[in-house]
Amino acid sequence: MKGRIRVIIGKTSLDGHWRGVQAVATALRDAGMEVVYVGMSSAEMTVRAAMQESADVIGLNVGASYSQVEELIRLLGENEMEDVLVILGGVIPLADIPKLKAIGVNEVFPPGSKLNKIVKYIQENVNAQ
Amino acid sequence: MGDKSFNKNERASNRETLSGIPVKEVYGPEDVKNKELGMAGEPPYLRGAYDGMYTRQPWRIFMLTGAGDVEEARARVEYALAQGETGFAAETDMSTWLFFDVDHPEVMKRKQDVGWFGAPVMSLNDYRDYYGSLPLGRLYCHTGAVLPHMTPYFMSCFLRVLEEKGIPANKVNSTGQGDFFIAYISILDPSLIPPSAGLKLNCDGIEYAVKHVPRLTPVSIAGNNIRECGANSYQEMAAILSCAVSYIEELLGRNLKIDDFAYAIGGVNLSTGSDFFEDICKFRAMRRMWYNLLRRYGAREQKSLRLRIHGLPLGSIYTFQQPLNNIVRGTYTVLAAVLGGAQSIGTPSFDEAICTPTQLAHTTALRTQQILMNESNVTCTVDPLGGSYFIEALTDEIEGKAWDFFNKIQGRGGFISCLESGWIQNEVAESSMKSARQIESGKRKIVGVNCFEMDEEPYKFRPFKPNPRTWELSMASLERLRKDRDQVRVEGAKKELRKSIRNKENTMPATLEAVRSGLTVGEVGDIYRELYGRWGVPSMAGLKS
Repeated sequence: MKGRIRVIIGKTSLDGHWRGVQAVATALRDAGMEVVYVGMSSAEMTVRAAMQESADVIGLNVGASYSQVEELIRLLGENEMEDVLVILGGVIPLADIPKLKAIGVNEVFPPGSKLNKIVKYIQENVNAQ
Repeated sequence: MGDKSFNKNERASNRETLSGIPVKEVYGPEDVKNKELGMAGEPPYLRGAYDGMYTRQPWRIFMLTGAGDVEEARARVEYALAQGETGFAAETDMSTWLFFDVDHPEVMKRKQDVGWFGAPVMSLNDYRDYYGSLPLGRLYCHTGAVLPHMTPYFMSCFLRVLEEKGIPANKVNSTGQGDFFIAYISILDPSLIPPSAGLKLNCDGIEYAVKHVPRLTPVSIAGNNIRECGANSYQEMAAILSCAVSYIEELLGRNLKIDDFAYAIGGVNLSTGSDFFEDICKFRAMRRMWYNLLRRYGAREQKSLRLRIHGLPLGSIYTFQQPLNNIVRGTYTVLAAVLGGAQSIGTPSFDEAICTPTQLAHTTALRTQQILMNESNVTCTVDPLGGSYFIEALTDEIEGKAWDFFNKIQGRGGFISCLESGWIQNEVAESSMKSARQIESGKRKIVGVNCFEMDEEPYKFRPFKPNPRTWELSMASLERLRKDRDQVRVEGAKKELRKSIRNKENTMPATLEAVRSGLTVGEVGDIYRELYGRWGVPSMAGLKS
C-alpha cells in the first residue's frame, strides 16, 4: 500500500499569477495529498525537487512558451522518472493540447477545469501506475 | 460540459454582497444612519473628490499597454493615444520587474518567455527607446515603476529622459506605482528584497518628489492588485489604508510634514468586479476613510485630505471561455467606477484571460469607456446614487468592515510586518479559495464557466504572441551598452549607490547618477539583493515550499 500521493507544483515562466496554482494546490492538499510548491522554478529545479520528494505527480502552471515543459519531460526521461505523472494548467489554447500530449504530458487542465476533476484524475492515474 | 441544472436564470441573485455582507430585500429611510453626506469636493469627500465632478471634467482614460519588444510596445501606445486615450502606462517585462538583466540565469532558461507581458527595459538606453518617443509631458503618464524596488531607478530614468528632451519635470503630471501588493502578494518570489526595504526605496522616491518634482506622484497603492489575487473589497480597502500608514510613519520619521507629502500618496487604485453596488460603495467609503485617517495624522490641507481614485475593473473576472462576453463585464465594471467617482479608469481587454491584449481587444476596451463617457449621459450630474437608501447603508456597512480589518492588520504590527509574516497573503489566499469553492459548487455563477457553457468556442481570434526575437534584441542592446559605457564612471556609481544604502541615506541622488552612467537594472538589483537581502517568501495556506 502506497502512502500519500506526493505532488510538486510549480510555474514554468517568470510570471506572478499564482491564484489558480494556489487553488489547485489547496484542493489537492484537502484531498489528502502532500503538496510542495516550488514557485517560479526552472525545469531543472522542479525535477530535482520531484526527485528529493519522490513525487508521484508534477503539476505545472504554464504562462508563456512551452520551452520549460519540453525541458522537464526530457529531464524526467534522462533520470528514468517517466512514471511521474505530468499535468499542466494555465492559459493554454485548446488547440495546443494534442501537441503537448504528444511530447509526453499526461493531461492538460485548461481554465475553467473543475478542481474535483483534477483531484479525481490524479487519484485514478497515480493508483493505476 | 458542466451540470445543466446551473443553466437557470435565478429569481434573485445572492442575498449577500460578494464580500459577505447580508443584503435586505428592500431598503428604506430607516436604514440610512448617516444623514450628513456633504457635497462632492467637501469633507469628508464621500460624494466625490472634486466639486462638479464629471460635469466639469471627464475622467481620464488611463490604460495599461505593453507587448513584446520596445518597438512593438511603443507602436501600441502610439496607436492607443491616436484612438483617444488621455494617459498611458507602458508595461515592462517580468525580467525587468525582478531586476534581472536578460542574461541572468533565470531569464536565460526562459529566453522564449521574454516579451510576453511587456518590453524588457534594462537601462536608460532601453527606457529612452521605449518612452522617449512617447508624448511625455503632454499627457498624464506613468514612470514605469511597478514594484517598490523599481521606484528610484525608474523615476531616475523618467527624470533623465525629460531632461534630455528639455521638458521641465516640475511641469509634468505623472505617477508611478511602486506597489507592495503586486510584489509581495502576487509575485511571491525570493529574488525580491524584503518589504521593509521596498518601503525605504519607495519613500526615497516620495521624499525626492516632494522636494524637487511635486507633480510626480511616485506611488499609487494599487488595491486592484490585492483584489486580483482574491482579496474581497473590504480587505482591499483596509490593506490600502494600512499601506498608507506605513508610508506616513516612515515619512514623518524623515521629518517631513504630513501636508507636504500626503498628496504624493493620496492617489490609489481601486478595483471594480463582480459586485456592482458593493464596488460603488467602496469608492465612496474609501474617500471618507482616507479623510478620517489623514485627519488623525493632523493633515489640514484639502489636497491631503481628498483621495484621488484610479478605477480599475478587474481582469480576473474575465473568462477564458466565450471571451467576447468580457466586453460586457468590462462595461458594467467601468460603469461602477464612474458611479463611484473615479478620476481615471483603465479597462482590461476582452482577451485578458487568454493573452497579453491584442490591439483589437485593447481598442474595444478603450471604446467601452468612450461610449459610456460620450453616449450614455452618466456624466450629467454628481454622485447620482448619493442618498439611495441601499447605497448609503452599504457604504456605511463596508466602511465598518474595512476599519475592522484595518485594525486587525494594525494589531498584528502593521502592514509591513503582516506582509513579512505572510498573514496578509494567507488571508487573501483564504478569500480566493472561498470564491473558487463558490464557483465550483455553483453558488456563484459565471456565465460560460459553470453555466451556459458551450461545447464549441463561438469566437475565433488569434491570441497575441510576442516577437520571437525579443530576447535577442534586448541582449544586443545590453551588449552595446556594456561596450560603450565609461567603466570607471560605472564603478564609481556602484560605489556611491552602495554607500547611500549602507548609510541609510536617500538613494535617489545616487540612483540618478547610476542611471546616467549606464548601470543596468540587473546590476542595481544585485546591489539591492546583496545589501538589503532577499525576501523570505512566507509559505502559503499551509503549503510546503
